Amino acid sequence: MNSLERIRATIKKEEHDRPICICPGGMMNYITTELLEKGGFNFRDAHVDAKTMADLSEYAWKEGCFENMGVPFCMTVELEGMGSKIDLGDNKREPRVVEYIYKKIEETTDVKRIDLSEGRVFAVLKAISILKERHSDVPVVGNLTGPVSIATSLIDSTPFYVALRKKGDICHEFLRKITDELIKFGSAMADSGADVIMIADPSATGEILGPKYFKEFAVKYLNDLVEGIKKNHPDVIVIVHICGQMTPVLAEANEINSDAFSFDAIVGLKDIRKNMQDKIIMGNVSTYAIEGQDEEKVKQMTKLCITQGMDIISPACGLGMGSPLKNVQAVLTGTKEYGGESCLK
Amino acid sequence: MDTKELYEKIAEGVVEMEEDTVVEYCQKALDEGLDAADIIREGLIKGMDEVSRLYETGEYFLPEVLTASYALNEGVNLLKPHLKKEVATTLVKVVIGVVEGDTHDIGKNLVKIMCESAGFEVYDMGRDVPIDDFIDKAVEVDADFICLSTLMTTTMQGMKDVVEHLKERGLRDRFKVMIGGGPVSQKFCDEIGADGYSADAASCVRKMKEMMAEKAWNSRNQKR
Repeated sequence: MNSLERIRATIKKEEHDRPICICPGGMMNYITTELLEKGGFNFRDAHVDAKTMADLSEYAWKEGCFENMGVPFCMTVELEGMGSKIDLGDNKREPRVVEYIYKKIEETTDVKRIDLSEGRVFAVLKAISILKERHSDVPVVGNLTGPVSIATSLIDSTPFYVALRKKGDICHEFLRKITDELIKFGSAMADSGADVIMIADPSATGEILGPKYFKEFAVKYLNDLVEGIKKNHPDVIVIVHICGQMTPVLAEANEINSDAFSFDAIVGLKDIRKNMQDKIIMGNVSTYAIEGQDEEKVKQMTKLCITQGMDIISPACGLGMGSPLKNVQAVLTGTKEYGGESCLK
Repeated sequence: MDTKELYEKIAEGVVEMEEDTVVEYCQKALDEGLDAADIIREGLIKGMDEVSRLYETGEYFLPEVLTASYALNEGVNLLKPHLKKEVATTLVKVVIGVVEGDTHDIGKNLVKIMCESAGFEVYDMGRDVPIDDFIDKAVEVDADFICLSTLMTTTMQGMKDVVEHLKERGLRDRFKVMIGGGPVSQKFCDEIGADGYSADAASCVRKMKEMMAEKAWNSRNQKR
């Protein structure tokens, strides 16, 4: 069974040999400083140049990090496409937004439309098609940043969160425009050959929003985004990741209609299953453990995820760039070692 | 309307996040000849105490706390010109910010709000703050606390650097260093020799109040 068959069987709840072990990319970063140095990569180039982007993703796969490839390596590509100024970082730091475009919520009416034919947006699409050409049997992931997280990167989060209550209409309009752009980019990723679209929306966490706003502003636009991409690409697998303590809003999260759902390490699978019996769940080996512990500990944590019944094994969040390579690899070796007898028969 | 009722209306306005109500009743209280500092303490801060209680019990979330703090600030802005100067003698001073390399500031903002509503004077350095800027500001304003926040493992080192730089500059005993954020723990706090760790904003402020009480007690003992 190759890894593309494995992830498809997982999503369709068909028999497969063992859980698949992936780390999508984007906010769920899988690139580390050690990997970049070993392969002689300059991370900045890999954020900009399509071939370098594809090469780095392929290199991580060849080094036995995870069973997928995925681009981009940050959550700022769409934001750059929408006009944000980005610091691309270096081999130790991921790219980040330098400043907010908007000061007041009233200014958010003129969201810049993403041009798919230029800049890093184009490079990502090109990198996806390069990877898919080279590896038809490996899941290639296109990564998107979710609507609320885009919103809170275009405007400071404080006035945004305050506006949710006082100026809900403007927030809805803002998020709708952002979602339209993300549907466009996500669909283009699928057109380019992405097998999986991963939507990471860390700022949409229920821990910050609470159940009411989570449902009204996060679930709504995540669902619009999933549906918008699926409309023309029904076979593409869509996974949603949300960071932080989600336990208070798991009932609401169950309404998100993605194929699979990914959680942070702080959320226990028992609690998840209480609210989301039928969902495919991905997760959630602690990234702090991967960065700070040893291989054996990482393997044991991976084993625990498997024995608890996690459907897809992955780090709980983006990897810290200082994570030792052998610890990163231990998630996959652990999955192979302990995952043999755990799947649907 | 009697005084107690006025204060209750103001507190309610904060809890209900209605800035118009807050401003209306703060003005009424001033018109009644009440002291601005009393209105802040008995009205606005009482309201914010209730907000932080609702936050701790999971009834309020960040958007509610932020919106309530906006309402509180509207009240404070109205009352500020009427404050008598001499009240500021025993104010607790806090320098706060997100350490260099990190821009995640939601946690920091929450601690800032809780500090302000506890009546502390807060100097917000913002996000991505160079290590020595914290120390320079703390010296400048004669702060009691330096509060450091980070969500990223890569920038945790900056917290240690603050403690080390304080030692190098012979200032370690002058300020209490508080740390918090996703990857930070009590263990890390002990390792780098910071003074306090807390998992959330409310307990951070509680810890700071305890430390201030201890400090006051110690300095009284020294005088004896």
